[in-house]
Amino acid sequence: MQPTPAAIVVESPSLRAGEPIPAVFTADGRNISPALTWRGLPDGTRELALLFEDPDAPTPQPFVHWILYKIPATAAGVPEGVPIDPEAPMPPGMGAAVQGTNGFRRPIYRGPAPPPGKVHHYRFILFALDTALDVGPGLTKAELLEAMEGHVIGRGELVATYERIRK
Amino acid sequence: MSASGSKRRALSRRALLKAAGAAAAGAAAGAGGLPSAAVEAGTPPSGDTTQAPPPSPPPTRPREPLQALSAAEADLLDAVVDRLIPAEAGSPGAVDAGAVRYIDRALAGGLSHLRETYRTGLAALDRYATMTRGRPFRELGPTDQDSVLIDVETGGATWAGAGFDGSSAAFFALLLAHTRQGMFGDPFYGGNINYIGWDLIGYPGVRLSAGPDDQRIDVKPAPSRRSAYDTDMFTRAVARGATRGGPDGDPA
Repeated sequence: MQPTPAAIVVESPSLRAGEPIPAVFTADGRNISPALTWRGLPDGTRELALLFEDPDAPTPQPFVHWILYKIPATAAGVPEGVPIDPEAPMPPGMGAAVQGTNGFRRPIYRGPAPPPGKVHHYRFILFALDTALDVGPGLTKAELLEAMEGHVIGRGELVATYERIRK
Repeated sequence: MSASGSKRRALSRRALLKAAGAAAAGAAAGAGGLPSAAVEAGTPPSGDTTQAPPPSPPPTRPREPLQALSAAEADLLDAVVDRLIPAEAGSPGAVDAGAVRYIDRALAGGLSHLRETYRTGLAALDRYATMTRGRPFRELGPTDQDSVLIDVETGGATWAGAGFDGSSAAFFALLLAHTRQGMFGDPFYGGNINYIGWDLIGYPGVRLSAGPDDQRIDVKPAPSRRSAYDTDMFTRAVARGATRGGPDGDPA
């Protein structure tokens, strides 16, 4: 049995927890990824992984909007606007971080684009790992979770909302 | 050539063509500290497009008289197909192949039932670009153009209030299919100008026979430079009779 992962504080200079995500980070705006910061990584953290998903989507499983992993433990966050070109270099400080395949079947960030009708709660989930994953880019959520199995020593979460109004 | 200009990257054109459907993932430039923005030159971060002076739209290409599309629709469509199958150094793209000419002729002929779909879809696409990125599609840089097309492709644009008639993904699928047809179809239909598409994929073109030398595995067949309709056995009359609902039109 694995010990309970340490709690990591995840924050954002781009948005506030529990509040609507600014449109610029959604399909109603430029659809660029927001900046995130974190603190409280447990000792022994070698690498980080980030998952951004919508459990309120009308799909059996939470809809995955973004996957970022192989983030160096030295990173204190991720800047706004991670490139949508998989061949473009990652922002400074992101080391060899790579993006996984989201629910749109794209290895990039795609922000909230929910059908109108209700408020959706979007979760940014950060994982601290005690190992450097030996994997390539483009993993799905299931593949990433399998690769991380037994190596998660810290976890943090930031939840923000978004709702589209029928126009 | 269209908006992408010199910022065009060695993008995943071939990957694009292989994909089930794909708008290109395009250029992204510069990113600094926290927060920063991977935004392209001339476009301010955080979607604030009110500060930078708007760039001039790319010049309109001289083109033959249109049969179905308006000039504005054709210009917009040129910018779209230029991102779907961009030109690369020494390698032409969908604009060079005349994909828009193909679509225009098709909409005036065998695909005339889709004329309204195009009118509505193109207007919605341009409205979506303006609503979300602050400028019409043709005036955006390649990164934002690609980002718009991805949102249209994935259906993210459907509920944005831009006026798509149903799913934006359905309109994108139509655009991509017709762009491919205009790139790689028989030049008879107005696209694949100068056999650009066939040369790109190494298809030697229509031949009615292949001799022993043509069948050697170590020989690359010389391009025939012939449309199927250049042969006596496959005439325009035959084409019209056999392809009800398909593209039609006079050869160039």
